[in-house]
This record gives sequence, C-alpha cells and structure tokens, in this order.
Amino acid sequence: MEPLTWTGNVGDFLNPIFWIAAVILLVSVIAQIILSFFAEEMTLQANPDGTLMRRGGLFGLVERLTKYSFFAVVLIVLAYIILGVVLPYGSVGIVGNMAKQFTPVWLALIATFALSITFKRSLGLYGKLFDSTVGMIGFGLVMFWVFTAGFAGMFDMLATHDPLQQISGLKNKLPGVPLPEGVEGYPHYLLGGDNLARDVFSRMVYGSVIVIAIAPLATVFAFMVGITLGLPAGYYGGRLDTILSFLANLILAFPVILLFYLLVTPEIVATGIPTFMATVLFIFPLVFFGVLINSRYHTQPTQRTIMLAVVLGVLGLLYLSLISQEGTVFNFMPAALDLFDISSGILVVFVSVVFVNSPTVFRIVRGLALDLRTRDYVAAAQTRGESSWYVMLWEILPNARGPLIVDFCLRIGYTTILLGTLGFFGLGLPPESPDWGSTINEGRKLLLIFVHPALPPALALLSLVLGLNLLADGLREESLKD
Amino acid sequence: MEKQDYDGPILEIDKLSISFFTRLREIPAVMDFSATVMPGEALGLVGESGCGKSTVALGVMQDLGVNGRIVGGSIKFKGRDLNTMSQDELRDIRGSEIAMIYQEPMASLNPAMKIGKQLAEVPMIHEGVSEDEAMKRALEVVTDVKLPDPQRILKSYPHQLSGGQQQRIVIAMALMSKPSLLILDEPTTALDVTVEAAVVELVKDLGKKYGTSMLFISHNLGLVLETCDRICVMYSGEAVERGSIEDVFDKMQHPYTQALFRSIPLPGADKNARPLVAIPGNFPLPHERPQGCNFGPRCDYFEEGRCDADMSIPMEIIEGHDRHQSRCLKFKEIDWNAPIEVGEQKEKAAAGDVVLKMDNLKKYYEVAANALFGGGDKKVVKANETLSFEARESETLAIVGESGCGKSTFAKVLMGLETATDGQIILDNRSIGDTPIEDRDTKTVADVQMVFQNPFDTLNPSMTVGRQIIRALEIFGVGDSDADRKDRMLKLLDLVKLPRAFADRMPRQLSGGQKQRVGIARAFAGDARIVVADEPVSALDVSVQAAVTDLLMEIQREHKTTLLFISHDLSIVRYLSDRVMVMYLGHVVELGTTDQVFAPPYHPYTEALLSAVPIADTSVEKKHIVLEGDIPSAMNPPSGCPFQTRCRWKDKVAGGLCEKEVPAVRMMADGHQIKCHLSDDALAEMDQVIKIAAE
Repeated sequence: MEPLTWTGNVGDFLNPIFWIAAVILLVSVIAQIILSFFAEEMTLQANPDGTLMRRGGLFGLVERLTKYSFFAVVLIVLAYIILGVVLPYGSVGIVGNMAKQFTPVWLALIATFALSITFKRSLGLYGKLFDSTVGMIGFGLVMFWVFTAGFAGMFDMLATHDPLQQISGLKNKLPGVPLPEGVEGYPHYLLGGDNLARDVFSRMVYGSVIVIAIAPLATVFAFMVGITLGLPAGYYGGRLDTILSFLANLILAFPVILLFYLLVTPEIVATGIPTFMATVLFIFPLVFFGVLINSRYHTQPTQRTIMLAVVLGVLGLLYLSLISQEGTVFNFMPAALDLFDISSGILVVFVSVVFVNSPTVFRIVRGLALDLRTRDYVAAAQTRGESSWYVMLWEILPNARGPLIVDFCLRIGYTTILLGTLGFFGLGLPPESPDWGSTINEGRKLLLIFVHPALPPALALLSLVLGLNLLADGLREESLKD
Repeated sequence: MEKQDYDGPILEIDKLSISFFTRLREIPAVMDFSATVMPGEALGLVGESGCGKSTVALGVMQDLGVNGRIVGGSIKFKGRDLNTMSQDELRDIRGSEIAMIYQEPMASLNPAMKIGKQLAEVPMIHEGVSEDEAMKRALEVVTDVKLPDPQRILKSYPHQLSGGQQQRIVIAMALMSKPSLLILDEPTTALDVTVEAAVVELVKDLGKKYGTSMLFISHNLGLVLETCDRICVMYSGEAVERGSIEDVFDKMQHPYTQALFRSIPLPGADKNARPLVAIPGNFPLPHERPQGCNFGPRCDYFEEGRCDADMSIPMEIIEGHDRHQSRCLKFKEIDWNAPIEVGEQKEKAAAGDVVLKMDNLKKYYEVAANALFGGGDKKVVKANETLSFEARESETLAIVGESGCGKSTFAKVLMGLETATDGQIILDNRSIGDTPIEDRDTKTVADVQMVFQNPFDTLNPSMTVGRQIIRALEIFGVGDSDADRKDRMLKLLDLVKLPRAFADRMPRQLSGGQKQRVGIARAFAGDARIVVADEPVSALDVSVQAAVTDLLMEIQREHKTTLLFISHDLSIVRYLSDRVMVMYLGHVVELGTTDQVFAPPYHPYTEALLSAVPIADTSVEKKHIVLEGDIPSAMNPPSGCPFQTRCRWKDKVAGGLCEKEVPAVRMMADGHQIKCHLSDDALAEMDQVIKIAAE
C-alpha cells in the first residue's frame, strides 16, 4: 500500500486554485488595511426604495476582492470535504478520507441546521442564534464535536482503529502511513501513529467522548452550586453574603493546580476528602430542584407532593449511586440498587472542576441577584407574601438567564481547557486515556521531532473552545437585541 | 473659530425627514418637519414618547448614529446647511455654537474628571484659550448658574454633587462657549419638582442674559408654557400644530392638541363632575402608521374616505394668527369652541368607616459605617417621624412629597416588608405594624396591595401576563381549581379593560399603559381593600395617564377600595384625591382635605410645591416662589424644623425657633393640620398660590 498524501488525486487540480485564492485573499486584506488610512470617509446614500448604497472607488474594489477571495477559499475547502465524502477510497487524500469518516457527523449537522433554520422563529433564543453568523459558526463547531462524541461513544463509529490498539512498526509514523502487510483493519493511520504506535486520528475522536461527557456535566453541577448559594447571598445580603463571598474568595485565591495535585494524592484520597466533597457538592442539585418545586407548588399540596416525590426519588437514587463507591469511605448501597460506579479518577476530576468553578458562578449569580432584587416585580412578589425562595428561583433567576447562558457556554470552554490541563499533568484520568489533554502531554515529549501526535488533539481542543466562545458571543449579541 | 454675526433665523428646519434603517425595514422617525427659531426665541417641542422629538434634536446635531439617516429636507443653522457640512466643520459648531443638555445629568458628566477641568475643556478646545483663562471663565459661569461656593464646586467630582447641582453644571457647560442655540432634551425630568422649578427659572434667566435661542424638548405642556415663546406639537413623527404659545394653548387648531389638553388634569377638572377625557386607542408604532392622517384612528372628528385617503396631509397656515399652522384637513370645519361633551357624571362615593389608622408611626434605620464586621459608628436615619392619620373606606388619600420624604418607606412598613420602629398601624382594629409579611395571614396580605411606579419593571419579563395574575390568585387562595383560577384571571383582565387574548402574551409585547393595567389587575386579584398606588401614572405618556387614572377611580368606586395615592404631581392629586397629606423629610407637614390643602393657609413647603408645579393653562396665574438649594439628605437632616433650610417664612418666627425645635402639629380647621411655627396671623396673611384669572 502506498502512503496517502494530504489531498490525493483531487489535490492535483484543487491545490493550485486553493493557493491562488489564498494568496489573493492575503494580499487584498493587507491592501485593505493600508488603504483604510488613506481612503476617504465612508459615505452612505439613501435610495428612494429604502435601500442604502455604500461608497465605491478603490477601497470598495479591494473590499469586494477580499470578500470574493474569501468565499473562494471557503468554497474550495468545502470541495475538499464534499469530494472526500463522495469519491471512493484511494482517490482522495488524508483530508478527504477524514471527511469520509465524519460522514454521519456531516449528515447530523446538516439535519440540525436545516431543522433549526426552518423553525427558528418559534424556537426562542435558540432560534435567534441562527440570525447571527458568529453564533452559527460557533454552534456548528460545538455541535461537530458533540456529534463526534455521540457517534464515537455510543455507536463506535467514526474512528478507524481502537484507540488503545498498538500496531508494531507504526511508532511515530507520519500521517497517511499504510498499515503493514497482513494487518487487518483500516488500511491507513490517517494522522500517523504516536510514540506507542497507536492511531492519532482515532485517539482524537475518542478523546472527544471524554471531554464532551465531563465538561458540560461538571459545568452544570458548578452552576447548581453557584446558583443555590449565590441567589440567597445576593438576595438577603448582609452577613450571609459576607461569609459566603469570603469563602468564595478563599477558594478562588487558592492555586488551582496545587489543589488538583492535593486532591489526587493517594494519602488525601485515603482520608476520604474527595468523597466527602463529592457528597457535599452533589447534594446541591437535589436541594435546588426540591426548593424549586416546593416554592412554586406549595399552594397546591397534592400536586407538590407528587412532583417532589418523583423528582427527588430519581435524583436521590442517582445521587446515592454516585457517591456510594467501592473502596471509598462511602460504600453502603446494596449492589442491586447501586446503578453505576464511577472510577475514582473521574470522580476526582469532577469534584475538582466543580469546586473551582462554582465560586465564579456564585459571584456572577450574586451580582445579578443584587441588581434584580430591587425590581418592582420582586417587590410585587414580596408584597403578595411569596416565600423568599420563590422570589429567588422564579422571579429573579429566570430574568438572570441571559448572562448565565452566555457564561455557561464560556465556562464549558474553560472546563474543557481545565480538563486538558488536568490530563496534561496526568491527574485523575488513567495514563492511557485518549482524552485530549493526556494526548497532548504524551505528544509533547517528542514535539521537536514529531509534531503530528500532539497537534490534532490541540487543534481539536482549540476548535471546541473557540466554538463555545463564538456561541457565547452569538447568544449574547442576540439576547441583547430584543 | 470666529463667531459670525448673523441676524436671520438661527435655526431653519425645512421639510426634514429622518429614517432609521434596520435589517428588516426602513423606519421613518421624523417626516416633513419644519421649524424656525429666531434669535433669542425659545421653541418648545412637545409630544409623547416615540413621536420623534429627540430625533429632531439629534438631527440638528447631525448625530444620528450608524442606522439613522436624514433622507430629505434641510437643516440650516445661521443660513448654513448642516447636512452638507464635513465632520470637521460640524465638530467646530457642536459645543460652541450649538450646545445640548440631556435628561440624565450624571450621564452627561465624566465621573473621573473634576468639574472645573470639564468646564474649562470647552473654551480650550473651541477657542484655544489658555487654561487659566478657561478656568476663570468656568468660575464665572458656575457663579451664573447660582451654585453656592463656586470655588469648591470646581474642585469636586460629579458624584459629590446632588442631581440638581449636576444639572446646573451641565447647563453651565453648555453656556461656556456662549452658544447661539441651546437644545434641551427633557432637562428636568430626572429632578424633583421644587428643584425642577429652580432649574427652569435658571434656564429662562440665562436665555435672556446671553440672548441664546432655545429648542426645548419636553412631554410636559406646563413646562413649555413657562419656558417657551413658541410651541410645536408632534405626533407620530410629524409636527401636527405649531404657533405661538397663546395661539396653541387657547385657540388650538388640531384635534390631537385638543385631545392632549383634555386629558391632562388642569385646575377645574374633577374626577366626578368633569372627568378627564382619555385619548382612545394606542400610539401607532413607526412601521404601523395608518394611511392618511396619523391621528385619524384616535380622532373624534375622523371622517372616513377623507382622513384616511392615501395622501400626505400638508401643514396649512391659519389665517389671522401669528405663524400658526395645523396639519388637519378639517380644521376649518371643526367648531373649536364647542364645550367638552361632559362624560357620564359619577356620584362621589361616600367615605365609609375608618379602615386603616396610623398612630405615631416611626421608622428609623440604623446604618452601620462598616458593613463587614459591624461595630463602628452607627447612624440613625429617620425615614418616618410620628406619622398619624386615618384612611376611610372608598376614600382617596394622596401622599405628596419629593424624593427622600419617606413615602416609600411608609409604603414598605404598611405592606409589611419592614416593621415599624415605634407606633402602630391598625387595620380593622388589628395592629399590623410589627408583623412582617411572612407572619401576616393571607387575608391581610390580599387586603393590602400595591401598584408600582415603573410600568417596565412591574411585571416579571419572563412570565406570561396570565400566569402572573394566576400566581397572585394561587397565593391568595382564590379559586378551587386551575380552571376556576383561569376564569377569574380572565375576569380580572376584563376588569382592567384588556382583551382576554393578552393572557398568553409576554410583558414585552405590551405597551406601558397596558402593563400598568396588568399591574392593577394583579393588585386586585385578592379583592384588595387598601391599594397603595406609588406614582402609578408618572412614567406613562400624557394621553395614557388619563385612561389609567380613570380605571383606578372606576375600580375604586366599584370595590369601595381605599386608595393611598403616592405622587409628586399636585395637578393629578388635586384631580383625584379626597384628602392630601404632604410629607417632607419623614415628617407630615400638612394634612387635610384637598380643598383645605390647596387653599391658604399653607404650610410654607406646600406653598412652594404648589408654585413649582407647571400648569398647562394660560389663564392660571401662579405666585412665583423658588426654593433655594436642594432637599437635605435624610442621613443628615437639619436641626429643628426639617424645612427650615429652604423656608422663606423663617424670619417671621422670632428667636430662631425654627432651627431649634421641631414644630408641633397644629389643628387649623376641622381635619386640617399643619406642622409649622408660624403664628396664626402670619399663616392668615398667605395668598392663594394658584389663581385662575377671570374668564
């Protein structure tokens, strides 16, 4: 078997066009920057039909050139992907074959966008996201990785090899290297092999599963903790606020990495501190939902009791299964009832991520509550004798949602990077784990000689966090418009 | 830049049209607007919010932002067309020849710069004078705007001044370069009435002194009457009538102007005998304007086929008047002197038993100097001082006062959000002053409800209208089932005259007046017997105010509600209240029936307050009283009588008694009490403040 080139046969004619378009784009962007110093001020002209005309001239020409060459570049990139999906194996290069592997993801993305754009007017803030280009790009990037994680994690699709499988002879081989004769399976290592001769591409795909599973969930928990403590701190103020804010500052001031190292130290794990912390931190969602339902429905006791029983029953079972682990201080659940076990490494990662994120969320929520508690509708709720928790959870929280949703997206990004950092230091997760942080760490050792094992997970991390940030920007922009 | 001498009109706006461009459509904000301002003349621009009056001002400044464009017409300033000027030329003119004063003084001043430096910047930039010279000029102007201790003011930061002082500084800054045209965009809306009166007085005097022309934008007709020579009434992007103050106020020639005057409470209006006439319908959105006359759908004189023909209606000159024009097709046919059709007259409901009684209510706050660890010096803020009064069934008691007078604190104590420091609140022979709201039973809570001031804040923006009313029903234990409560909710919407379809709407889809109606419906969900209305209409447009006020009155008549109407607007108080309580810095300074309070003898504060309220009626003569200084802070109240720092009668009391002792409450006549040291003779000397000239 021949090693694959990056673009294969398709590249023979597409590559020159691509480079020409790219050079034009670069030149015109530079020209635009230089011209902007000399060109005359922007003039707008209103037409009788209600449209506006923008200036022409040299500046306008360069502006248009930039626009068209940019579209050309985007089109050619799309062509690489589409041709890769359509053409048979062998006629396209590494890029095309990767695109082919991701076919289910593309289909899912197209379906999502088509459906969302069709019904965007009836989808609230989510629908409005599709009015903003930045928001759509961000959403696209995020959903790409979400679908990747979904297909890889649930159906074992997308990846070409087992992420832990080592094939002798492929150690540190460059992208596109063919498998040795006689080895079963996908004929190439698309992105080369790492220093243990595992497929870099497959590890990147499986790495997304861990990131996508942990980051949003940990963020949700951090929000539960932050909201449940931040609302009363902002709403009541006074001594409660002083104490809670002081604690939050204390946690924020503690060096995060040191905290992580402490939490995973075997001696500390043996004392049960991480388990105790999990016990405390994970009870917050129960408290949150319990209070949420009770404050809203306490005027209709029967309805309230039924809802409380169902929600708290389910959540309680999950909670008990979560904290009851073999080999830790808490091991009380009978095996029949214990729904699942989480490896202690992941639990520690979870606990530490929630622990360091919740103080920041706490401060945001507290600030929002401080502002919103002076509103008249809050006073109106108070004067009809609502309980404090009703006011906090049903009058204040829904109106703080805008900044919170934006922060949620941003925070998933931070958490993703935090997970990468943890993986990079080899904390928490097992050393052979394909998550992006650990992979980058391993690739780092030979970085001067071989770039290819470290680069794909780094770019994957970059694109996911970038997507989340763009998504947050888009949401913020659109939520302000109303 | 040299200032040219020019003796033609200062500002000539000719057929100006301004549009804003959004992604969806072009929104015309101002259409076919013409106006002329002669040297030394003050032109008032009046209209409801959204009518385009501020857009005109921004158009004159050529500061319409990215989306705004002048799409037609010309704006000539001293004969030069502003539309064709370059940015550099405009920069020269702005601030030196045309100055603008905005509504929020704090937002117009740089909080990080000392006042003196900010003022000195103006001549330094525009005339290139030295810093010393500029500071000298600043001192001069600050003295001109009558601020005490100008030297100290120049060295202070904006946040160290009160709102009134800040607005004076903004005016001083506008006058630094002796502009030919001053644009004032609602300059006093954020200020208290007595402070507003002083600022208006100042603007008038300075206009005369410097010979400045003014473009005065306001929604308050009374204010325009006091400050301007000419007036232009705008409606939905168009000028509908313009002319001299006398012509427009007394011989109006446009149905909108007429409707506007009929919907504001002038002296003589009475809630039972001569109720206000609200303008029906709603203000059209800029992209939903009707064909033909914009005011057509709400006009009493509407004629189908003529007023809604697909053509624009021109401004027509009215013969025999001084530059008086009207944009109405039928103004020659309408009988402008026809008496107002008197709406249905209503019987005044007799006041019933005493429902609510305040007995020596006191509310003090302790403010700790150090919040973190407590301790340190504690200051006591006396928000309410010995408040005593009674309120009867189906009676309207107005509580009048400016910011910091303790009316909101009183409302909080009554609602149970705070507990009284001393004294009692007795509701149906039960004392509730010490019971916080959590400990009150549902009946008490439902009985005492509140209508809030800001319509944009009174409803939870993320809950449907219906849901919010149903929640109130749930919490008051009204109705047995969800269906029952839904039915009740729809009936409440009927009560406040809103369509039932509004139940599923979100608050942002409602206009200010509609939101306020929902707020009223919510307050009456548990059949409230006492409703505290905290300035319920002050944030609404004039034409909507009348409708909401009438609604409140009607519900009151039906339900025999006791209404505690908190307001600073004496016109509306006079119109609707049975008794009036005037508060100043936590003290009740005067209490009596409406007639007693509005006639001498007055408490000196009431007298000043009455004089300060602008009244949009040319036949009214007011005694001119301007209070010096600002309202003292409640943190640091003056010794003795709270009002002594600003009282003009102080020297009539011998021995400086006013500075030493808080005066005792004196009964003047049956049910009329005044808290003042003045002798009976001195009080008897007082004249009527508001006189209606003989017709």
